[in-house]
Amino acid sequence: MSTTQAKPEQPRAEEPKYPTTGEPISTIARRARAGLWTLIVMDAAGTIAIVIAYSYLWALNVNGGWAPPGASLTATETNQTIPSTPPAASFATEWPFWAILGLVVLSTLATWFGYRELKRGNHAGMVVGTGAALVVSVGALVAQWIQISTFPFAAGDGAYASAVLLLCASNIFNLIILIFLQLGMLIRTHKGLVSEAVHYQPQILSYWMVWLCIAFLLGAICTSFMVESPNLDPAIFGTFQQQS
Amino acid sequence: MDTRPTGPPDEPEEPTNRPPSMHRVRNWLKRPYAKGIVGLTILLGILLAPMAWLILIPMRVTGAPASEIMGDIQETVFVFTLVSVPIVAFVYAVLVYSLLKWRKYKGDKVPEDESPAIRTNTIGVVMWTVMSSVLAFFLVVWGLIELAQITNNSYGTISADQQPGDEQSVIVNVTGQQWVWTFEYPQHDGVTTDVLYLPKDRPVYFNVTSKDVIHNFWLVELGVKIDANPGAITQTGVTPNKLGSFNLRCAELCGMHHAYMETSVEVVEGETFESVMREMGGGRTA
Amino acid sequence: MSTETIAQTSTVFGEEVPQPRQHGKPGGVMRRLNMGTGLIGGIGLAAIAGFVANALVPSGASTVTFAPAAPDIVYLAILVGWAIGFSAGIGAFVGPIRWFLGRDLTHADAEYMAGKDLGVKRYFKYTTDHKVVGVQYLVVFAFILGLGGLLAMLIRTELGVTWGEVFSPAFYNSLIGTHGIAMIIAMIISVMGPIANFIMPIMIGARDMAFPRLNALSLWLVVIAAVCLVSTLFTGGIQDGWSVYQPLASQGPPAMLGYQMTIIVFAISTGVASVNLMVTALTMRAKGMTWSRTPILVYGVFGAALMGLYAFPFFQYSQIMALSDRIWNTSFFNPLQGGSVWLYENLFWLLGHPEVYVIIIPGTVVLLEIMPVFMRKPLFSFNFAVAGIVGVVALSGLVWAHHMYMTGWAPAANYPFMLSTEMISIPVGFLVLVVIGTMWRGLVWTRLPIMAVYAVIFNKMIGGVTGIYLSDVPVDQYMHGSMFVVAHFHYMLMGAGLFGAMAGLAFYFPKMTGRVLDERTASIGFWTAFTGFQITFMAMFVAGLQGQPRRVLQFDSLFNVPNWISTIGAYIIGLGMLIFAGAVISSWISGDKSPSNPFGSKSLEWQTPTPVPLENFAVLPVVTERPYNYGVPDPYEKELQAADSDLHPEGVGSR
Repeated sequence: MSTTQAKPEQPRAEEPKYPTTGEPISTIARRARAGLWTLIVMDAAGTIAIVIAYSYLWALNVNGGWAPPGASLTATETNQTIPSTPPAASFATEWPFWAILGLVVLSTLATWFGYRELKRGNHAGMVVGTGAALVVSVGALVAQWIQISTFPFAAGDGAYASAVLLLCASNIFNLIILIFLQLGMLIRTHKGLVSEAVHYQPQILSYWMVWLCIAFLLGAICTSFMVESPNLDPAIFGTFQQQS
Repeated sequence: MDTRPTGPPDEPEEPTNRPPSMHRVRNWLKRPYAKGIVGLTILLGILLAPMAWLILIPMRVTGAPASEIMGDIQETVFVFTLVSVPIVAFVYAVLVYSLLKWRKYKGDKVPEDESPAIRTNTIGVVMWTVMSSVLAFFLVVWGLIELAQITNNSYGTISADQQPGDEQSVIVNVTGQQWVWTFEYPQHDGVTTDVLYLPKDRPVYFNVTSKDVIHNFWLVELGVKIDANPGAITQTGVTPNKLGSFNLRCAELCGMHHAYMETSVEVVEGETFESVMREMGGGRTA
Repeated sequence: MSTETIAQTSTVFGEEVPQPRQHGKPGGVMRRLNMGTGLIGGIGLAAIAGFVANALVPSGASTVTFAPAAPDIVYLAILVGWAIGFSAGIGAFVGPIRWFLGRDLTHADAEYMAGKDLGVKRYFKYTTDHKVVGVQYLVVFAFILGLGGLLAMLIRTELGVTWGEVFSPAFYNSLIGTHGIAMIIAMIISVMGPIANFIMPIMIGARDMAFPRLNALSLWLVVIAAVCLVSTLFTGGIQDGWSVYQPLASQGPPAMLGYQMTIIVFAISTGVASVNLMVTALTMRAKGMTWSRTPILVYGVFGAALMGLYAFPFFQYSQIMALSDRIWNTSFFNPLQGGSVWLYENLFWLLGHPEVYVIIIPGTVVLLEIMPVFMRKPLFSFNFAVAGIVGVVALSGLVWAHHMYMTGWAPAANYPFMLSTEMISIPVGFLVLVVIGTMWRGLVWTRLPIMAVYAVIFNKMIGGVTGIYLSDVPVDQYMHGSMFVVAHFHYMLMGAGLFGAMAGLAFYFPKMTGRVLDERTASIGFWTAFTGFQITFMAMFVAGLQGQPRRVLQFDSLFNVPNWISTIGAYIIGLGMLIFAGAVISSWISGDKSPSNPFGSKSLEWQTPTPVPLENFAVLPVVTERPYNYGVPDPYEKELQAADSDLHPEGVGSR
C-alpha cells in the first residue's frame, strides 16, 4: 500500500498544470477518477434500490396487486371494486427497454470512439464521436419519453406500474444529465479545453457511460424476466383467507 | 517439559519448576497498577453482578413470566448480563484507576514529561480478542438455540387455512386496526371478541394481520410479539402456563390513539375457556 | 479556436501557471451572490411555484385517503421551489454552468470563492474554503441540535405530566417524529461536518478538499433541508416517528412531504460530502504520509463516508417512492394495490443501521485523536483501530434486519441477522480496546476533552451491553417497541455520540475559532448534562423493562415513577447543555486568543498558525514520522529484559 509514495517528484516539464491550484493535471485526473468511482457506488446503490423494489414487489404480489388491472386472468378481489377496464391494459412490451438500452450502448461506443481519437490527437474525431453520441442520447431520451407516454397502464395501476414508472423516471433523469454532460463536453472541446494533453474529463465521462449501460441493462432484465408474479395465491387484504 | 537449567529463583522460597509464563504473570501482578486494576475489576464485578437479578425486577412488575417463552427471555437477560459483567468491570476498572492514580496535570501548561510509549502489547490484544470472540460466540450460540426453541412454538409460515385444528391447540386470528384489537376463533365457530381469551397449558397459534397500518401485537407478560401488517399475515404462538389477567399493548406507532390500543389477556383454565367460547358462540360481541 | 486557454499566467504558490480567460472580476457572478440572494431566490421561486401549483390543481381534487389534494401539491411545489430557488440564488448552479460553457475558473476566481479578503462576509456566501465550510457546519449543527433539544424538553414534559395531557396526541406524535429526525441529522453532521471538513485536510497536509465547490454545495444543501424540516412544524408535523413507516405516513398531514423533501435533499448533501471526504482522504495526503502514518481520524471519516455513500441512496429512494405514492397514487407501499410495507422497512433500515455507525465511528475516532495528546502516549495498537473500523464498515451493511426481527417479513432471516449483529460487536470491541490500551499507564492531563472520554466510554459500555440484549431475537421479542430500545439508542447516539462530538469540539475549538474555550464553565455544563443523562435514561430502561411501549403519551400508572424521574433528568440535561452552549458562545465571541498549539499536539493540524491561513501551509509538509509520536521508553521493559536474562542464563530460547 506504499504506492502512495510514488507521487512523481517533479511533473514532466510539459505536463500542463491545473489553473486554480497549480497541480499537475495527472494529479487532478486521478482525483477526478476517484470521485467518479464514488459517484458510481452512490448511483449503483440507488439503482439497486429500484431493483429491490421491483423484484420484492414482484415476488410478494401483495393482495394480488402486482399486475396492472386486466392483465392477468386471475384478478383478485380487494375491498375496493375495480371499475371495469378495457381488456387492453397489460404489462409493458419488453423490446422497447432493450431498444433504449441499445441506444445508450451506441452512444457509449461513440463516446469511446471520440475519446480514443482525442488521445491520438485527432481533434475532429473527438468532435464527431461526441457529437454522434449526443445525437443518439437525445434519441434515447425521446424514445424513453415515448415509451412512458404509451404505457398501457397509469401510475395508480398497481405495484408493477409503480416500479416500471420509477425505473423509467430514473432513466429519463440519467439521460437528461448525460445530454448535459455530452453537450458541455462538445462545447469545451470546441473551445480547446479538452485536448490530447488534458483529456481526463472525456475519460471520466466514458467510464460513467459504461455504468449507465449497466443501469439500463438491469432495468431491461427486470422488465423482461420478472413480469408475471410467482406468487399466485396471495392473501386477501384484511382477512385470513388466501385468494381462492 | 522444559529441561533447561532453572535460573536463580526470583523469590527465596521454593525452586521454580513452574513454566516461565507463570513467572511473567506473577511478575506482572507485582506491579502496583496491575494489582490495582485487577483488584478494581474484581470489586466492580462483584458490584455489577447483582444487576443480573435487579434487571429482572421491572420485568416482573406485573407478575412472574406467564409462559415458557417469557421464562426463556428472562433467563437470557439474566445470563447475558452476567457474562457481560467481566468485560464491563474491567473497562470501568481501567477508567477508575486512571482517574485515581494516573492523574498528573491540570491547567493550561503543556506537560513536560510523557507516558510509556506502548504502541502494542501482543498478550493484551490477543487476550481481548479471544475473550470478546468467545463471548460473542457464546451469545450467538445461546441465541440461535433459544430462537429455534421458541420458533417451535409457532407455525412459522403455514398459511392460515392450512393450519391443523387438533383438540389441544387453539387458533386465534388477530386483527389490528386503528385503534382496537379484534380476535376471532375459527375453531369455535368464528366467535369474535375484543378481549383475548387463552387457555392455560394449551398451545395457542396466532395469525395476525391489520386492516390499515402497521400495528404490533405484544402480549407483555407472555413474551409474545409480532407485527400486524396490512396486506400480510404473520404468525406466532405461545403456550400460557399461568392463570391471570395480562396486558396486550400495541408496540408500533399507529396514529393518534396508539397509546390507547390496549386490551386485556385473560388466561383461564381449559374448561373455562371452552365454556366462554360457547357462551359467545353464534354472535358477534361489541 | 482556443480563445479560452492560455490567456495569461498567474503565480500559484510560487509557480507561474497558465490561466484560462478571466471573465469579469475574480469570482464573476459569485461576487453578487450570497445567502441574501439565496433567500430571495428561494422564497421567490417557492412563492411562484406555490401559486402556479395552486392554479393547476383542479378544485375539489382529493388524495387516495380522501384528504384534499391541493395542500399536498402546493406544499410540495413550495418546497421544490425553495430548494431550486435558494440553490440558484446562492450560486450553486454557477459551477456547472461555467463548466458547460467552457469558462473554467482561474486561480483568482478560486481564491475569491475561497473567501480571500472577504472578512466575515465569507460565512454567508457559497464559500469553498474547507475551514469556512467547517465553521458553517458547526453553526447549522448547533441550530438543528437546539431545535431537537427543545422538542425533547416538550416530549419529556408531556411524559412527566402523567395526570393529564399537555399536548394533543397528534401534536405529541409530531414532537417525537420531528425530534427524532432533527437529532439524527444533527448527529450525522456533528463530527463529519465541522471536524472532518475543517480539520481533516490540514491533518493530512493538504490545502483544501478534493472538490471545494462540492464542499460548499454539501453545506448549503443541509441548510435547505433544515428549512424543509422546520417547515413541517407549520404544516401539521411529522406524526409518524422519525422512521415514517408506511402506510401510516400516507395518513399524515402535508408535513410528511416536508419530511420526504428534507431527506431527498439531505441525501444529496451526504452523498456529495462522502464523495469529497473519501477522495480527499485517498488522494490528497501529504508526501510521505503512507497509510501507516495517517492519523486514525482520517480512517474513521473515510469509513463513515463510505457507509453513508452506499447506504443513503436507499433511504432517499424510499422517500421518493413514498412521495410518489402520496402524490401520484403509485403503490410501492400501499398494500391494497400490491405495495408492501416490508419493502419500505427494508429500504429504510438498509440505511438506518449503517447510519448509526456513520454517527458513532467519527465520534469514536475523535476520542482516539484526543487521547494521545492528553495522555502523552501513542495510540495503542493502531492496527487494531484500523481493523475495528474496517470490520464495522464491512459488517454494517449486513445487519440491518435486526430492526425487523418482529415484523414477520422473513422469520428464517432472523437467524443470520442475529449472527451478523453479534459479530459486529467484535470490531466495535477493538475500538474500545484501543481506548483502554491508550489509557493504560498513561498520565492524565485533566482537561475537558479527555475528561469527556471517560464519560463517553462509560456510556458506550452501557449502550453496547443493552444492544446485546436487543440483538438476541427472543429477548427482542420482549423489548422491541418498548422504551428499552429508546434508552439503548440514546446511550449510544447521545451518550457516546453526542458527548463524543462535544469532546471533539472542545478539543478543536482553539484551532477552529482562534479562541480559548472557557473549560471551567463548559465542564460544569458537560457534567450537569452527563448527570441528567444518566438519570433520564436509566429510569427509561426501567420503564421499558416494565413494559412501556414507545411513542405513547399516556400510559399505565405503573410507569409513572420512572417517567417522573426521566423528566427531571431531562430538565437537568437541558440546563447542562445550555450552560455548555453558553460557554462555547461566550468564548467564541470574547474569549482569550488562543496560541496555535495550546495542547502541545504533534499532529499536523496543530502545527499551523491560528487562525489558519487560507492556504493552510505556505509549503506543503513532508511527513517522515509515525503519528502520535509521544511517549518515553517503558521503564518496565528493562526489568522484563533483565528478568528474562535471569531465566535464560545462556540466552537459550526466546521471549
